[in-house]
Amino acid sequence: MKALALALAVIFFIIGFLYLFGILQIGASHGGRHVSHFVLFVVLGILSLVWMRFASSGASPQR
Amino acid sequence: MTWLQAMVLAVLQGASELFPVSSLGHTVLVPALLRWKFDRSDPTFLAFVVALHLGTAVALVIFYRADWVRIARALVSSVARGSLSSDPDERIGWLLVAGTVPVALLGVFLEAPVRRFFGSSAIVATFLILNAFVMFAGEALRRRPSTTARSASAQGDSTRPLAELPWADAVKVGFAQSAALLPGISRSGASIVAGLLLRLSHEDAARYSFLLATPVIFAASALEIPKLFAPQAQGVLAQSAVGGVLAAVTAYASVAFLTRWFHSHDLRPFGWYCLIFGTLCLGLALAKVIA
Repeated sequence: MKALALALAVIFFIIGFLYLFGILQIGASHGGRHVSHFVLFVVLGILSLVWMRFASSGASPQR
Repeated sequence: MTWLQAMVLAVLQGASELFPVSSLGHTVLVPALLRWKFDRSDPTFLAFVVALHLGTAVALVIFYRADWVRIARALVSSVARGSLSSDPDERIGWLLVAGTVPVALLGVFLEAPVRRFFGSSAIVATFLILNAFVMFAGEALRRRPSTTARSASAQGDSTRPLAELPWADAVKVGFAQSAALLPGISRSGASIVAGLLLRLSHEDAARYSFLLATPVIFAASALEIPKLFAPQAQGVLAQSAVGGVLAAVTAYASVAFLTRWFHSHDLRPFGWYCLIFGTLCLGLALAKVIA
């Protein structure tokens, strides 16, 4: 789980920066840089890191 | 845009963003009814809209400031500890995170194309009528006791506290909120109905809906803040500032009213309003009286 969370975090950060620099355009309404896509994927990356931290300490959702 | 138009739009946004009647739908239909023509892609109009959304988000943060402080503290301590505890504020915080992810994903990818395809008054009015039926159906299904609700009812109560909402159900409410990408479908209406169907009380469903709306509205408007300072927007800076404050005051009054309303009332009056207003607008749009 920890490795999966870390891998997801890395993937999300990479996708975020690809959108920020305008390299990735999938699902974008216009060409160029996409700050909102960048922010979204960075937040998802951070959440994946949080998940990794929880996985490290053995905690999991109770429901 | 005249000052009168700016102030009417500010009050309309502040109220309709939180009442389950679709702010997006109203900002399309009311100007159409009043024959106000705005270029929605104009930088000055976009700057004004950003100010209104910021005002609404600030009002929500101020209204729920005590909740947000507790939730933020609980989330930070949860991350620092690296584990989940039984603290209700911590759980509500993570439920909000779980519910925000779907609407953030769908919003970022689908908002622009959806608004391009569904921008006409007739379509918006149709969605407003659909919004009414969603609320009617939600209330009707809520009243029909399910097997689990019957067994819970035998123990005294068929609802559960917000902090006991399962993770998957929090995500479902988030997806329901995404329906508001369709102009005419209300963000709060859809998420409150989803909460009711997942056995939250009206009060808790509304509270979760308003808390869930805050980061979404705040993030969406914060990302657009540069538009407020665009050179073309300088001409409407005063209108944007006053409009933002007016939207904030209206939104605060609306959320204060609605939290009291859902203490003892339900969604049906809003459903009737959407049905009547939507039908009227659809009729006018089909008769080509409004564009």
